[in-house]
Amino acid sequence: MSAEIKLRLHRSMYMAQAIKDAIGIFEDFARFEMKRQDDHYNVDIHDIDPEVDGDLAGEFCNFALAHTIERKRKTPK
Amino acid sequence: MAKLKLESFDAENNTALLSLDSSVYTLDVLYGAAYALIDRAYVLLDKQSREGGKGSRFIVHLRGKRKLNKDTIANLSGEFSNELLSQALRRKVVKQNGALIEEIVTQAIAGAAGAALPQDFAEEEDDLDFLDDPLGIAVPWEEKFSKNKKES
Repeated sequence: MSAEIKLRLHRSMYMAQAIKDAIGIFEDFARFEMKRQDDHYNVDIHDIDPEVDGDLAGEFCNFALAHTIERKRKTPK
Repeated sequence: MAKLKLESFDAENNTALLSLDSSVYTLDVLYGAAYALIDRAYVLLDKQSREGGKGSRFIVHLRGKRKLNKDTIANLSGEFSNELLSQALRRKVVKQNGALIEEIVTQAIAGAAGAALPQDFAEEEDDLDFLDDPLGIAVPWEEKFSKNKKES
């Protein structure tokens, strides 16, 4: 069984909806728990599919970041 | 404290850790630089408040998608720093020339979309015959001249 991964994503830098989108994309490959704590969203990743080839946590972070940036660009200032 | 600092790099884990002064680089600039690198590296951003609550620093975790050695990790960090400057300059230029850029684009779109075509006039002038000459342009000079002569 693979180890649990804990990510801390700062609330001023990552949009909650972008993180939820990322969870929706990657939930076939692992179990995700997202909690809001102080200035961060804590995302725990459990039960990563052993068949997964590559860095799931890294891809998850990139996806959440890219979606945050794209969403912020679309939102008028 | 340095404006941009390579805090550490770890060749074993393929990672570099940078910290930036948030009063020098805005979040938009940081996003731009991070976005440019996400095809080659895993990027995790964080923010740390300074002791005493005076300002904050952005923390950037970079991890190569491929196995990198010490030199290539340092290069990746350097590229990220260059991209930060490039993004900052780009935003400054856009801010300074925003009105001009907007004007040029508006004129280009108006020119492309609003050019008058012959068929646009066709309906308006539908009741006019090609022989009609309301302004008298087709009247020969001699006729005009001879009339004037007779009158005088």
